[in-house]
Amino acid sequence: MYQNKHSIFLIILLGFIIHKYYCKEQTYEHKPNKPLRFHVAEFNFDHVSDVYAITLWILLGSLAKIGFHLSHRLTEKFPESCLLIILGLIVGGLLYVTHLTEQKAYVLNSDTFFLFLLPPIILEAGYFMPNRPFFDNLGTILLLAIVNTLFNTICIGLTLWGFQFTPLYGGTQFEMLPCLVFAALISAVDPVAVLATFSEIHVNDMLYIVVFGESLLNDAVSVVLYRMFASFANIGQPNIIVMDIVLGCLSFFVVALGGVLIGIIFGVIGCFTTKFTEHTPVLEPLIVLVYAYLAYLTSEMVSVSGILAITFCGMVMKQYVSFNISKKSDATTEYVLKMLSSIMETIIFMFMGLSTVSDSHSWNTGFVFMTILLCLVFRVIGIAIFANIANCWRLLELTRIDMLIMSYGGLRGAIAFALALVLDEAKIARKKEFVTATIAVVFFTVFIQGITIGPLVKLLNVRRKQIEEPTMSAKLTNRMMDHVMTCLEEISGSGGSNSLRDRVRNLDRNYFKRWLLREPPDRKDIKLLQTFKKINTLTAMRVHDTARGLVPSASTATVQQGIPEHHHLRSHSAYGNVSELIAANLPENTVPDLMSYENHEGEHHHNDAEMHHFLDTNLYSARPRAAIHLRNQDETGSSDDGTHARFEKSYHHRDQRYLPTRLERELPHGPKTISKTVHNANRPIALKNLSPKHTRSPPTTHQQPNPRSRSRSIAAHQHSPIPSGQRTKSISKDSRISPLASTHIENEGTGRTAAERSRPWRHLSVTEETGASSSKTANIPLGNGNDPNLHHLPLTVADFGGTYTKSPEYMGEYATTTKPEEPSSRPDVRDIFNKQSEDVSEQQDDGSTESITRL
Amino acid sequence: MGSNASIMLQQEDLQNICQQTGFTAKQVQRLYSRFKTLDKRDCGFLTREDLLCIPEVNINPLGERLIDVIMDDYGENNKINFKQFIFLLAKFRRGRVKSSTTEFNTRDSKLRFLFDMYDRNHDMKIDREELLQVLKMMVGGNIHDDQIATIADHTIGELDSDGDKSITFEEFCKTLERIDADDKMSMKFLS
Repeated sequence: MYQNKHSIFLIILLGFIIHKYYCKEQTYEHKPNKPLRFHVAEFNFDHVSDVYAITLWILLGSLAKIGFHLSHRLTEKFPESCLLIILGLIVGGLLYVTHLTEQKAYVLNSDTFFLFLLPPIILEAGYFMPNRPFFDNLGTILLLAIVNTLFNTICIGLTLWGFQFTPLYGGTQFEMLPCLVFAALISAVDPVAVLATFSEIHVNDMLYIVVFGESLLNDAVSVVLYRMFASFANIGQPNIIVMDIVLGCLSFFVVALGGVLIGIIFGVIGCFTTKFTEHTPVLEPLIVLVYAYLAYLTSEMVSVSGILAITFCGMVMKQYVSFNISKKSDATTEYVLKMLSSIMETIIFMFMGLSTVSDSHSWNTGFVFMTILLCLVFRVIGIAIFANIANCWRLLELTRIDMLIMSYGGLRGAIAFALALVLDEAKIARKKEFVTATIAVVFFTVFIQGITIGPLVKLLNVRRKQIEEPTMSAKLTNRMMDHVMTCLEEISGSGGSNSLRDRVRNLDRNYFKRWLLREPPDRKDIKLLQTFKKINTLTAMRVHDTARGLVPSASTATVQQGIPEHHHLRSHSAYGNVSELIAANLPENTVPDLMSYENHEGEHHHNDAEMHHFLDTNLYSARPRAAIHLRNQDETGSSDDGTHARFEKSYHHRDQRYLPTRLERELPHGPKTISKTVHNANRPIALKNLSPKHTRSPPTTHQQPNPRSRSRSIAAHQHSPIPSGQRTKSISKDSRISPLASTHIENEGTGRTAAERSRPWRHLSVTEETGASSSKTANIPLGNGNDPNLHHLPLTVADFGGTYTKSPEYMGEYATTTKPEEPSSRPDVRDIFNKQSEDVSEQQDDGSTESITRL
Repeated sequence: MGSNASIMLQQEDLQNICQQTGFTAKQVQRLYSRFKTLDKRDCGFLTREDLLCIPEVNINPLGERLIDVIMDDYGENNKINFKQFIFLLAKFRRGRVKSSTTEFNTRDSKLRFLFDMYDRNHDMKIDREELLQVLKMMVGGNIHDDQIATIADHTIGELDSDGDKSITFEEFCKTLERIDADDKMSMKFLS
């Protein structure tokens, strides 16, 4: 709260400064010519004034947003849109007092609004449209968007006009057509307002998409109605012939379908373009933005619905572009879209507050209140009628509560306002009343409804959106359900949404994917694989993050100093740990093609918070997975020689990499570097062609080309975990208080599972290594146990102990308090490892039998 | 067509079926006519080939598996007669209020059906092999075997809570709690 006040003061101050400078500049202009002299520096505000003003607006918007979010209490109670409008009102008041409103850059101008502010928001909405719920509910959405909007317009318009015969408006006359024009602009639900409000209340997907879809798609209707009634008003009521009305109705189809068509065409061209951007990946995000914007401009140019065009353009592109462009570009695109739409939204609401403060108002109490009342009443009636109609065919019926939220969520916003501003005062005499009433309605819906809808949703116990972690089983079963239901629908002959979806999916796979993707998928279910990839990446990231503190950093000295008589014993326990370490670092990279680690850097960046939630909650469940991968590797290794060689090579190579890394780098860098570089060497294609001969080449050759990529990878990785780390820190205070305790927890957790993980692999190396590659075993010092790959790393228990104590901060950060009942005293490190090594040997037995049976 | 079918369906049977399954008479009649359409040889039962004749089922990756389940669990001797057919479909009727829920269309029975899609040896466990088979059907293409195996192992690892490397029905249900299986495994029967 305090900070917020602070920021408001700051903004006011800023306003004054701008004003001061601006006035100064104007006075400069009027000054008589000074004698011509050379100036070292010139004050030339005129040169930059417009752009300067815009930039300042953006800055102000961003600062305001940052300021609001500093105070939790404020944003909890009031939606951001309200706060922004209030801020806009304040700034508007200031500008009004200082007479700066005449400057055109300071008021909302409908051209600016429609050409610059609106498209990014709609594009973002289209690009991130949840496709499945959208198409599942398309029927309902269309019914609401088209028929309900039409119904609202006619009813509101005619009723408003009808009331002029009563003394309600204080004798002010309203003609019928202007009333209808006004109704057309006021009855459309506004996507910007809906987005701003619904994104904060998190209702379930179905409800959200119904309201939001309606607000997006009703644009065509409202544009047509608005334009039709406005031109009718131009023509004049007596001159209208039937033909005009018929043409008006026809124009609806042209506007709606034309918008969709233009959007899809540009979307397809955009996807097609990205097919060829392999060598210029930096331009990829731009391609998406430019084509979408072009779609919008083109459709505005031919006066069809731009909103529909850009929505569909975004939806089409999202489907294919993300397959084509690099992951980094993908993340950038998403980020840029989010950023643009967020700032545009801020500016829109601010401008709305700002533009309210002006002279062009004419308050007519009766008219304003009637408008608000009618908007509410007809919204409720319309939803009640049409939702019930929709229920006739819906599988998942809309309940009363759903309907209530739907009608309550019918917010009006900036589009209506901008349309009201462009009304032609010469033709529509009551423009001022209309503008005032529009502002009143918008403020009413945004403030009263926007503030109360959150508590209402809570009160009525509306099903909230569940944040789902991706799980393979859920995805698989979902897919299976789809397939089963499709088949059953076909068998029972009641073709429903499932079989329709299946047909669309087949079409998409057989044609669109083939044309538009760089590498057409040859698999039936690419989504399934994608999910797996994603889960794997998350797991990898998690393991990588948790394993950070485990990597011995400054321990090389101790390694060499290892006491000889204990050496044998220690190396036994140590090597279980080393393999476990490496397993912990690299469980996901072992299976080619699905594990492209690099590809997910962007996503990981973008999903940071989500990921960390996932990581925090899944610390333990994830480990068996890692075990599974290695076991698999085991299998492949034994099943064919090539794969085995690949594995061996990658392991060896990793090992080689490992040592210098440890020598050179600080603690956190070690595991990252390893996983990255091994990944590089582990690229699927390279691996497929890998011959055994190649494998024999010394590992150093693999290392050489990599230092650059390694350092880059570090840079890329380094910035992302930081905020998440902080988050974790704040959450798990416990673990920070007793880092050692959590070290213990962590240690035991990883230790046990990682030992399991290492076990089958070890089994493999023992059996395979001796039989298949005898030349290799010759190089291996015997002292290090039977594992040939570990000869570079004679690690001991002491190393691990040293590391743990040396890096409590990492352990503290990443160890969560999932097991608070663990003993908080400092554990005896050696005990743990001894236990582990026992575990290892114990489990090795059943491990070997297991893998044998599987072989 | 509808009237034709209703003649052929005994009135008594019809009532019986309606009572047991919760279908309306009209829905049953409609399904009956659908059954007749599928039954091209007009012998009173559907065979595997009849069902595979539906093009969408034919190309569906899980089509054959589904028919396996239908024939084994709901029909007999690779045939399914109308009564069995309608009891099968009764599982997927939407039970939106308690009163319209019969023993067939509970959430449990729907999940059971899904479970049966995996569990073909009826040992009430989805083991690795069974999961692998389903995955291969769904993913298909030229994906490498070890990749599929990885996915299968991963999935089992997710669901398996008692560490026996297979998924029991309880484990299966527990993890699917988040999915509205009830809604997704329902369809609208035309009346």
